[in-house]
Parts: sequence; structure tokens; C-alpha cells
Amino acid sequence: MGLPCGTFNTRPEEDMAIFRTRAQWIMLFLGIAFAAVIVLAMPMDWVVWTILLGIYVIAVLGLHILTGLCGQFSMGHAAFMAVGAYAAAYLGGVLGWPAWGTFLIAGLAAAAVGMIFGLPALRIKGFYLVMTTIAAQFVIIWYFREAGWSGGVYGLSVPSLAIGGQALSYIQFWWLTLAIIVPMLYLAKNIQRTSWGRKFVAVRDNDLAAEVMGINLFRTKIVAFFIGCFFAGIGGWLWAHFMGHITPLQFDFHLSLVFLSIIIVGGVGSTAGVVLGAVVLRLVEKLVDNVSSALQGAFPDVFGVQVFPALSLIFFAAVVLFFIRWEPRGLYHKLQRFKTYYRLHPFSY
Amino acid sequence: MTDLADILIQGFLVGGLYALLALGFVMVVKSSQILNLAYGYQILITAYILFWLLDGLGLPLGVAVPVIFLVGAFMGFTIERLAIRPLLGQPFLAILMTTLMLGTLIKGIAVMIWAGASYSFPFTPGGMLNIGGIQILPSVLYAFVTALVIFGLMYVLFQKTKVGLAMRVVAADNTVAQSLGITVKKIFSVSWVVSGVIASVCAMLAGMVQMVTPELGDIALMKGLPVLLLGGMTSLPGALVGGLIIGVVEGLGGYWGGEIREVIPWMIMLLILIVRPWGLLGERRIERI
Repeated sequence: MGLPCGTFNTRPEEDMAIFRTRAQWIMLFLGIAFAAVIVLAMPMDWVVWTILLGIYVIAVLGLHILTGLCGQFSMGHAAFMAVGAYAAAYLGGVLGWPAWGTFLIAGLAAAAVGMIFGLPALRIKGFYLVMTTIAAQFVIIWYFREAGWSGGVYGLSVPSLAIGGQALSYIQFWWLTLAIIVPMLYLAKNIQRTSWGRKFVAVRDNDLAAEVMGINLFRTKIVAFFIGCFFAGIGGWLWAHFMGHITPLQFDFHLSLVFLSIIIVGGVGSTAGVVLGAVVLRLVEKLVDNVSSALQGAFPDVFGVQVFPALSLIFFAAVVLFFIRWEPRGLYHKLQRFKTYYRLHPFSY
Repeated sequence: MTDLADILIQGFLVGGLYALLALGFVMVVKSSQILNLAYGYQILITAYILFWLLDGLGLPLGVAVPVIFLVGAFMGFTIERLAIRPLLGQPFLAILMTTLMLGTLIKGIAVMIWAGASYSFPFTPGGMLNIGGIQILPSVLYAFVTALVIFGLMYVLFQKTKVGLAMRVVAADNTVAQSLGITVKKIFSVSWVVSGVIASVCAMLAGMVQMVTPELGDIALMKGLPVLLLGGMTSLPGALVGGLIIGVVEGLGGYWGGEIREVIPWMIMLLILIVRPWGLLGERRIERI
């Protein structure tokens, strides 16, 4: 994308920088500081909203690497997240491991399960891979519902995270989430710039051609599944500790759909798009909340209790359909267009 | 009395219904290579509309059934024309998500209107049939027979009519079909309409075998997709064979394993995807760069 007016790259390091100018660095730190401070002024339900937004972003970053970069569609991402969450709950809650110690294990457990379901990806793609991941969704969640150790439909309770014997408050939990999101975003952004990232993109664009060029297709796809599901597992770890109690129902097929939709709304293949898409879809959920309670308040005899689940399905579907049909390149592209337009603001060229 | 023979026959008969579920997918995949994930929810809403026609408006069954066939056909036509056709040539993910989101939309509308209530159709036959000492549910038997009739009709459509011939040409190669003077888009429309009618047949049968609940759409997808993959995405006989296999194995799984019944179709599907990704009777596509 174009640099700010009057800035030119003269050295390779400048060309490589993600944040090129001092103003961009300042904006970055202000942005992070704003995200950290804003929750102090929020009512409690918005703090919860923000934390869940953060967890969504972490999980979807994994899906972004898997689907947006490597082109391997996953419709079972919520199930991979569930693996991380159950690992955290079982190790921490049942076996009594320290809650902080399960962080990496949760991620690695999800990554391992993801790799197993990614194995067929060597031979299949498109429809067939979608089917495999839908199967992963149903089989994994079914397993958690039926297995003895996972508490069946009632799920498991998770010990809360504590620092110095003091359980984290919601606001502190958001800071923790933020402290995980920022490195994760950096990681996801940087993966695109490594040789692995370029291999992913080559596989996405044409896997046959990529193989002819000497890319090990199998290893690339498996690594994509590993990284993508690792992120999901970390998201699951946070989710488990935030919710305090997990059940198989929390990780249903609809959540997987939401994750995939976030990528579409944000723009396939862009890291910033993940954040934008997550914000928009979470805002839609909030909007549905308000609209449905307003409708129920205004016409109590027309709209019953079904109005909330029904409207959340309808609004969600309508927003995603709108983006696929009219903005297929997503919000990130919109933002870029906007920035390009105002780059040289008072002058048109 | 759950005898093994009972289980086998019951599974076999339910398999016919599963085959019919898969047939609706096959119709669309065959002509346009689009996996219509809204299909399960088309079944859901036609089932609700049928119930409303019968119970709310009090129409006799002979009137209500043709009406929902029309509704199903119209729905298939509308989805193709308004949502799918503008996206032709777009990436695979866009079309897949569109069908899935249309499904979600339809489910939302169904939940909004019928408030998640569950019904069973008034024409559901009760009791058990006893044929040669084997106990079977009459609704399952009706479903099986209807499924066979529909498969027969589809066979006639594909093999004996001009439209069917055109559909086979389109399935083989769109470009060739176009240059032979077949209006490919019209054939797409026809296949979606036929798929919509099959959805309304499925709605009738599935509502008879099971209750009509908002989960009916998900159940239809959960049973139909593994059958589709097992039989091969584009094969009519494949759908029938796959449906029967899954029905029987699922019945056996329920007999021996209890709870594993629910995921058996998916397990079979994963197995077939690893061993033979193009399905039992599907055709293998060779790719070029």
C-alpha cells in the first residue's frame, strides 16, 4: 500500500517494516493503551463483550492462517477450540495442575487433534475438506459429550486464573487477553512474511502448481493445520478460564460458522481484517440483543421468547450474505480504499 | 423386542430416506458443482409449511401435498436465481458460505414464525406393522417406498427425457453443453427446482419418521452429507447405495454401541474420504494446472 505523503523507502529495513513511520508507532501504542484503558469506563456487560471479542480474535487468527493463507477450509474450528478448553479444564480442574501451566498444553492438544483431522487434506480439497472438518466438528463434540472424563453434557468446571492467590477480575482478564492478542497478531502477521507463509499462499492459489515448484504439499498443509489449531487451542484456554464452566454445547457448529464468517466479513487473507470482522459481527450480536428486547417490550403479544434466537440467526446471515454479495473483499479492502483516497487528501493526485 | 433382524430391516428402510436426502444434493452438484448446504433448511421450512397448511388452514392432504411441492420448487428456483446465479464464477468459499447463510436465514425465519415448537404430522400412521414376524414402523416403510418411487422417477427423467439428456451433458461439461445449444443456466434452474421438489418430499417423509423441530434441518444435513460423500457426489445409484449402507450400519451401531450411533455416518464418511475420496460410485476427476 502507499506510504504516507512524502515518505520514501531508501533502505531494505524500511521496506520490511510493518510500522514504517513514527506516527504509525505512536498510533499503535495509543491504540493498545486505548484498548487497555477503555474497559475501565465500560459497564460490565460491555467488558464481557470485549473479552469474548478478544477470544474470538485469537481463535479466528488461527482460522485466518489455515483458511485465509493456506486455503484449507475448516468448518470445525469451534471443535478445535473445544479441545483446548477441555485440556485446560481437565488438567487444571480435575488433575489440579496449575492453571497457568496448561496454557501451552491446551494449544498443543488442539494442534495435535487438528493435525489428525488435517491428514486427509493431502488427498482432498474443496468440498471434501469441508466435509472432513464438519465431521471433525460433530465427532469431537460428540466425544466430549459421551466420554466419561469430560463430565458429559454437564461439562467441567474450570478453576479461575489467579495472581498471588487473587482471582482475576473481568478487567484484569481483559488485560490478560490483550497481552495474548498482541503477540498473536504479530505472529500471524509475520507468518505471512516468512517462507512458510509464502508456501501457504502458493498452496492456496494453486496446490498442484505449488507442488511442481518443489513445495512439500503434505508438510505445508499439516503445518497450516498445526498453527491454525494451536491458535484455536489458546482461544479455548482463555474461553475455559473466562467462562469458569464449559459444556459441549458452547462449541457448536454455529460458532464454527461465526468464525468463518468473521474471515469473510473482514476480508479473506488479511490479519487486520480478522479484528475488523470480529468487531462487526460481535456488534451485530449486541444489536440483536437490543432490537429483540425492544421488540419484545413493544409488542409482547406478537414476539415471544423466540425472537432473540431467531433474530440473531437472521441478522447474522443477512450481514454475511451482504458481504459475500456486495463486498466480497471485505472490510479490510474498504479500509484500504478509504486510506488511499485520503492519503493525498486535499489533492486528488 | 429389538431383534437383530428388526434392526437390520429398520436400518435398511431408513436408509431409503437417507438416500432421498442425498439425492437432493446430488441433483445440484451434478449440474453445477455447487454443494447446496441450504438444502436441509429448505426441508425444515417446507415441513413447517406443510404442517401449517394441514393444521392451521385445515386443507385436506391431497391439496396440501401438491401445494408444498410448488413451494419447494419455487424456493429452489428463487435461491438459484437470486443468490447463486450472481455468484457464478466466484470462489468456492463464497458460494458455499452463501448456501450455508441462506440456510441459517431460513432457519431463523422458521424459528421466528413457529417459535421452535415441535409437531408431528396428523397423517403419521401409528402402531407397528408385523410382516413375517418382523416388527417395522409403518412410517419408515412408507418413506422407503416413496424414496424408491422418486429414484425411479429420477432415473426416467435422466435417461428418457430430453431435459434429462441436457442435464447429463451439462454435468459432463458446461462448455460443450453451451456450444451444443443447451442453455446451461436454464438447466441449472431446472436442477435446483427438482432439488427443491425433492426437499419437499423429504420434508413430508422426515416429518413423518421424526418430529418437525427446528433441528430437522441440521439432522437432514448430518444424515444427507455423509451419504452423499459415501456414494460419490454426482452419482444417483451411489446415493441409493450409500443411503442403504449408512442406514444399516447406523442401525447395527445403535444395536451394539448405543450412543455411537449418532456419529457413525461421519465415521464412515471419514473412512471413505481417506480410502477413496471420490466415493463408491463417483467419478474421479483429473485436474490440470
